[in-house]
Amino acid sequence: MSDFVLLSDSDEAALDPAVQQLDGWSLERVTAGELANAVAARPGVRAVVVASSDPEVLRAVVERSHSCGVPVVVACADDTARRRAVELRAEEWYRCPADANEIAQRIRSAVGRGSPSGSLEDRVERVEYEQMLHDSLTGLPTLPVMIERSRSLFKERGELVVLYLNFVRYSKIEEIYGWEKLDAVLETTAAAVREFLDDTALSTSRLMVSFTNDDDFIFFHVPATGVAAASENEITDMVARLQRHVGGRIEAQHGEDIAALFDIYVGRAHVYYNPKIRLERMIYRGIREAANAARSIEERERGRRVADLRSSLRDRAVYVDYHPIVVTETQEIFGYEALARGVMRSLRSPEVMFDVAAEADLVWELSRLCRSRAIEGIETRLQPNELLFLNVDPHDFSDPAFNEDEVKYPERVVIEITERTAIKDYPKFRERLRIFRERGFRFAVDDAGSGYAGLGSIANLEPDFIKLDISLINAIDTNFIKQNLVETMVRFANDHGAMVIAEGVERAEEFKTVKDLGVHLVQGFFLHRPLHLPLPPIAEPAKR
Amino acid sequence: MPNAKLPPILVVDDNHDNAEIIRQYLQNRGYPITVAHGGDEALALFETVRPAVVLLDVMMPGRDGWEVCRIMKQHPTLGRSVRVIMVTALDEWQDKREALQIGADDYVEKPFDLPTLAATVQRNLAMQRAMAS
Repeated sequence: MSDFVLLSDSDEAALDPAVQQLDGWSLERVTAGELANAVAARPGVRAVVVASSDPEVLRAVVERSHSCGVPVVVACADDTARRRAVELRAEEWYRCPADANEIAQRIRSAVGRGSPSGSLEDRVERVEYEQMLHDSLTGLPTLPVMIERSRSLFKERGELVVLYLNFVRYSKIEEIYGWEKLDAVLETTAAAVREFLDDTALSTSRLMVSFTNDDDFIFFHVPATGVAAASENEITDMVARLQRHVGGRIEAQHGEDIAALFDIYVGRAHVYYNPKIRLERMIYRGIREAANAARSIEERERGRRVADLRSSLRDRAVYVDYHPIVVTETQEIFGYEALARGVMRSLRSPEVMFDVAAEADLVWELSRLCRSRAIEGIETRLQPNELLFLNVDPHDFSDPAFNEDEVKYPERVVIEITERTAIKDYPKFRERLRIFRERGFRFAVDDAGSGYAGLGSIANLEPDFIKLDISLINAIDTNFIKQNLVETMVRFANDHGAMVIAEGVERAEEFKTVKDLGVHLVQGFFLHRPLHLPLPPIAEPAKR
Repeated sequence: MPNAKLPPILVVDDNHDNAEIIRQYLQNRGYPITVAHGGDEALALFETVRPAVVLLDVMMPGRDGWEVCRIMKQHPTLGRSVRVIMVTALDEWQDKREALQIGADDYVEKPFDLPTLAATVQRNLAMQRAMAS
């Protein structure tokens, strides 16, 4: 009588010699259907090799074995089986057919986990598979996993509602703040979504979430037996609450600017089970239908925003936030960046406002309004020695209404030009800058170092100020490559008689790091929140 | 003898001589060192070794250092805490931006000198401890 029993439903001949290689082990074969119960019932079971291709059997065996503390090795006939094995977190798996040595090694490894074996490729594959099945950021399963999980429920209940949640402008967050920030925002989003679902009435039915690895989420809602699927109204209501909930969380953790960028558009599709069509195909069709529905809602919303922008331009409904820029050493106020915002809630974010203007060919008009609003502040907001930093898009220089005479105190204005917009005709552009410069205007390169271009394009503009891209400042204290880049930029500025501004400094550690690196000026929540003029009452968009 | 208290380091370099030089130098300073001679091997060892720091050569046949870094940084449990130091000459602005995009934490210029390499390892270990607490 051996001390250790290996239980298996596999009829592989190689299993017998494999077990003989293991000291003090014996093999007991049972049918696939009996396997799960046998793990708990038979004494001395120390490992299980399961070969069944039935996903339900596999799940039952793994779950039961793990609850008894018994490791599982999955004998995989194909890729689907391998995926399931990893998804269910079986200790080991091998590809059929395998020889006795391989199988014995896998069993040893499963039992000893921590001294893993197996061929190199298989272990690499395991690391890759893990990454494919669960999104590392949100912890949510990816789509193939979710389809696998909903398979039997969908069949049983005969219907499935797909909700496609399109979270828009997350790419903008990445563009402005860098991927680390986007990752953090996605993490907040996923946590808020999970939290919301636990709380919603729909959670009485089966609801599953997946993350498509972009910025969209997919929900599968399978109504519980005896309960009707959620109606259109229930879903609309749920979406509105979800939007408020997620938006609130994002604002609390990442601030108003990022929250103002955030929007959800939700599309819905109802899929009915049809045994003649492959289940995956039905589900993918449903997803596509729901995604299209989300897109058409987004289109409609875009039309509304254009209308909001037109009425804002008519009523001059734009206000300006003044972000203090301080001297790093003394923390004295050096100047303010003027940031225009729409009075209407839908246009609060300047990025959104200018995106809408670009779609409606109203960029010049909006720029003129924002400039004139910002310039008003020189007299009403600023001390005589403080500078006004004004965002000007390179395209604005071709607006005949924008000229060097627009401002009464050009020597107090710093024009910020973003590195993000490609400048097509450099000689002509530099000629325009020269005229402004002669009047006393100064220039800053905004978002410097955001692209791959490096220092060459900055040198071209001969700026007085270099404003570092926010993504370089975010978490700079923990990343030595960022520190190296900022150091390079400071050296460059010192050589060229320019000053470096670090924007987006939110934490004490970030402030200390940029200070140590010799950055001249600092802007960010760590020192000052933006100052509002007394806020105009928030106008709601016109009746829809 | 490796000091059990120091966290494990994974050294990845397809050049056996380089890898050996780094291994000996760091091992003499008490770090437990595991060596991989290629990207695949590094990934295979990743979950077993659970390194605090990975010294990763960029130019390797097959899976290069960039790809290995990207996959390690996306690992569901270990990706958060591991510090990845790229071993390469990142001369250009563009190279460094690329390294940031892929999630690298630091780099050591090639050809490296050993004291600089050890100092780089040390500052990343210190950062990892600070971030963990």
